[in-house]
Amino acid sequence: MNSQLTQLKSALRLFGVIAIFGSFSAFAGGPVGDHVNHLSDNLDKYTEEVNWLIKKVDGIVVRYEKSGAKEAKADAVVDHWEAVKFHAAIESNYVPVYAAIWQGLFGVKESIDNGKPMAAVRVEQHKLEQALWQALGAVKLAAQFQERGLLTKVALREGGPTNSVEALDQVKMRLDRVVAKFAEKLVKESVDIVHDTYLNLFEGVEGDLIAINADLVEDLEKDFNVTLPKAIQGKKSSVDDVRRVVDLMHGKIDIARALLTEKDKKKKDVF
Amino acid sequence: MQRRTFLHSMALFGALGVCPSLLANSVSGSANAISVEQLPELKGELTLYLGRGEGGLYEDVLNAIKKRNPSFKLNIRRGPTAALANAIVAEAKAGVRRADLFWAVDSGAIGLVSGAGLAQSLPKDLISQLKPEFQFSNWIPVTGRIRTLPYNTERLSADKIPDNIMELPESGLSIGWAPAYASFQSFVTAMRLIAGENATADWLKRMNDKATRYAGELGVVMAVERGEVDLGLANHYYTLRLKSGKPNARVNLAFTQNDAGCLVNASGIVALKEGDLAANFIRYLLTQEVQSYLASEAYEIPLVGNVAPPKGLPTLDTISPPKVDLTKLADLRPTLSLMRKAGVL
Repeated sequence: MNSQLTQLKSALRLFGVIAIFGSFSAFAGGPVGDHVNHLSDNLDKYTEEVNWLIKKVDGIVVRYEKSGAKEAKADAVVDHWEAVKFHAAIESNYVPVYAAIWQGLFGVKESIDNGKPMAAVRVEQHKLEQALWQALGAVKLAAQFQERGLLTKVALREGGPTNSVEALDQVKMRLDRVVAKFAEKLVKESVDIVHDTYLNLFEGVEGDLIAINADLVEDLEKDFNVTLPKAIQGKKSSVDDVRRVVDLMHGKIDIARALLTEKDKKKKDVF
Repeated sequence: MQRRTFLHSMALFGALGVCPSLLANSVSGSANAISVEQLPELKGELTLYLGRGEGGLYEDVLNAIKKRNPSFKLNIRRGPTAALANAIVAEAKAGVRRADLFWAVDSGAIGLVSGAGLAQSLPKDLISQLKPEFQFSNWIPVTGRIRTLPYNTERLSADKIPDNIMELPESGLSIGWAPAYASFQSFVTAMRLIAGENATADWLKRMNDKATRYAGELGVVMAVERGEVDLGLANHYYTLRLKSGKPNARVNLAFTQNDAGCLVNASGIVALKEGDLAANFIRYLLTQEVQSYLASEAYEIPLVGNVAPPKGLPTLDTISPPKVDLTKLADLRPTLSLMRKAGVL
């Protein structure tokens, strides 16, 4: 019963994210492909790709065990991941797991490159496999929502928010992308997303918000301009460090969202 | 250091409370604003390109217009103002016109579109509703914003602030600015047009040695309030909004005189399609109701005859902004080049 409840909560949470994510499509890796708007038709293909990817990564790990880091050619994990369509399916639907996949890929690659013991490499491999299965589950759930017409079509370009609440939803999505790009080792791109999100989205909201809670705005200002860029650019920062900052920001943005939603109810009529 | 001949205190604003409201009797202008009740019903369909504005308040206006005109269909494409301006020009070059109207958050983008010969002439009776200095033949300024010097009231008194922007670097004051910010770049463009390239480059270099950099102008105002810097350069509404949420905030507004430091810039709308429907749609934006709404909710400056400015801001006729052709603020490239050469960007 508890497990079912947890699953349901996860599903609802996921749907919430997906519903928001549907309008966003600033993909770093080029055109996304229309298959993301036909998830159900492609589930077999995605499953096949996940199995293929797991097998490929296992091959790398086995080579490492037998012949060492050079023969393992661990760089290939990234090429394999970028080669699959499933990449876009999860990137367009659930960025938090997308980031975890990148974290897993680099976990395997770096543990091999650094000559870590086999047990440690297997731990990283296991984390990657978990992230991939979790991602496949998320895409399958998204497919169900899409079939019921509950999922917004993945847009060819980002739609502009029509109010502060929508803008904050986009801010949260973009912060997830910051983690994802950091996990891809794209530090500059990650910082660029932070700056762009601040200037083009949050900055348009904070004028509204400051009239309600100036301290919250001040806190988020610091997060956008100091704390998060510093976490991304820190020499010893891990994906978990960056994710921790983003999670805290999400919490503050949720408070901001609630305040602005409440304010909207009291807004006077134009005419 | 020159003594200021004009300084505005916001003490009254602080004393009167949190909610913005309007001063009823303090504006100059041309004609009285028209009520929405006097306007014809809109019938037909238009496509509006809408630059991202103030937290959805422009959307509220558009929704209200749609609700009032059930036989009118408004298609909206949203995006950053500069990107939409470029799209309009590119579409025209390709021989298509998707937008009938373009509502931009800054006049520079309007200049880009009108400079490409795409802006239609508008009826004289519509133009004449605006204050004389905001009357143009082929675009309508909707609301204004003014460049200000927000200063920390505990660290500084108003008479210590120069009323000439060019003297700011040598004022001995610590200064906050946000050079990457679009409004700041429009201000530098205005300085370039008024004072020339050399003087602007020199000012940027002198300022760059003294100023502390912030990402956005609300950040500048908040830094002033915290006392990190003595004063900053920012559009007026950030300070008014901060004072609204925090009435005892340690910040007031000062203005320079007759230079780019007190430039009044405007959001504006341009019709890309001839005919009554587009012009009549624009009439709704100049109504008493819409102008008052944007003043009270977004702290923007009404530009129509008798509509009062947001509380806490002096009336335009008591400030001496420079005379600048706002559409020329579109010429950003030389500005960015100067800023890069000065090491500001």
